[in-house]
Amino acid sequence: MSRGRDSHVAERKALDRRRFLEASAGAAGALFLAACDSMGPRSAQKLLKFAEAKNETLERGLFRHSSIDMPPGGARAAGGSFPSYFVSRQVPVWDEAARGVWKLEVGGMVKTPLSLSLTDLAALPRTGYKLEHFCVEGWTAVATRTGVRVSDIAKLAGVDRAAKYVDFQSFDDEYHESWDVESAMHPQTLVVYAQDGHYLNAAWGAPARVYSPTKLGYKNTKYLTRIMFMPARNGGYWSDRGYEWYGGV
Amino acid sequence: MKRHHVIVRITHWVNAIALTLMIGSGLRIFNAYPAFARKGETFCCYPFEHIPIPAKLTFGGWLAGARNWHFAMMWVLVVNGLVYLGFIYLHGEWRDLVPRRGIFRDALEMVRFYLNQRKDHPRQGKHNALQRLAYFSMPIVGIVAVVTGIAIWKPVELSPLTTLLGGYVWARYWHFLAMVALVVLSVGHIFMIFSVDPYSLQSMITGGYREDLSPESRNARPFVHLLPNPKAET
Repeated sequence: MSRGRDSHVAERKALDRRRFLEASAGAAGALFLAACDSMGPRSAQKLLKFAEAKNETLERGLFRHSSIDMPPGGARAAGGSFPSYFVSRQVPVWDEAARGVWKLEVGGMVKTPLSLSLTDLAALPRTGYKLEHFCVEGWTAVATRTGVRVSDIAKLAGVDRAAKYVDFQSFDDEYHESWDVESAMHPQTLVVYAQDGHYLNAAWGAPARVYSPTKLGYKNTKYLTRIMFMPARNGGYWSDRGYEWYGGV
Repeated sequence: MKRHHVIVRITHWVNAIALTLMIGSGLRIFNAYPAFARKGETFCCYPFEHIPIPAKLTFGGWLAGARNWHFAMMWVLVVNGLVYLGFIYLHGEWRDLVPRRGIFRDALEMVRFYLNQRKDHPRQGKHNALQRLAYFSMPIVGIVAVVTGIAIWKPVELSPLTTLLGGYVWARYWHFLAMVALVVLSVGHIFMIFSVDPYSLQSMITGGYREDLSPESRNARPFVHLLPNPKAET
């Protein structure tokens, strides 16, 4: 195409090219340095929020009660290696002397508010699954979870059809997470009181916790005290700190 | 005649940015658990368990920040990739990229040339055999990265896919290996651009390309005959 061009032009072109290469390499380098381990430009946060909202719509569209978690056949239960996690400075323990007998309150948009002791829970229809736990950090762990379906508790309380959200409150400081009601009604969403055949110990969320394989670990409130059915979402401990509110798996 | 159509040039640079951000944020997510073993198990095939990736190579600042970037940028990557693949399918550029008969023999000749085992640059069309292999593999590895990514994003809602890939742990591993392959292809590509054909940078920006400066005309190996051939200039 450019064969036989005047050599002056060729020289100037080569110079321009060199300058261009230097300039673009410098710009790319600056961009890279600015990007390194930063959270990215602030102006992008709005865009990220927008993407999160769109992703939530898609994820809720994908969600099915018939999508069930089944750990791979060879998966070994984590047993004692199951991580423990809480936000309080010390492992939260229900102080019966100060707070009275632990009870799970079920309220909000329900016909019959409930107050269930551990004995009451154990008397309700029992459901158990060997389930994977998907942590937001990327690890998984398998455990057998035994408890009562949240949907069974909802039936018992007579939840209003207008309740679109549920909040799971704990006694681990201010820890709570609110959910979409569809995920809470999934057959594998349980109020768990036993893990691997034993009552929960304090490190794993005793006396009871929520567990569903359809939600990332942080959505599954431990040290449960109250289930509230609500017309609107009210965030959550990690959802308010930058993690996706939906946290679906 | 432009060497690269404007759509190819745009999607190339959008991909470069999106892929960089996906890899950076992905590595930051990986650092939250830089291992593959399920709790209470061991994992056969990753020798660097629990060694985090240097923070300088990551993007997003912290786990939630990196996840938010990853799950936003994935749409840019996928939509851009579909535009590119749709375009080269409809416009015919795919013919420059699909492997031809004898591609491995030709690639071997290129390797021999680069290793000084052969004097003359093998004859080529738009791309040499190694480039064709690389540019053909890139979208395939990209698709693997996207599919394995979907499998670890929705291991319960899309459990048949995750199960097909061997379960969550293995799907996460395949996702990681796809990333490694993309990094290797990209680093190789950038190295070859600057050490063999820096003149092609212009063709990916303005579309213009001087055939008299092509590696074949210059008989160029990495860092050899990088400058324009004075004979070809006159």
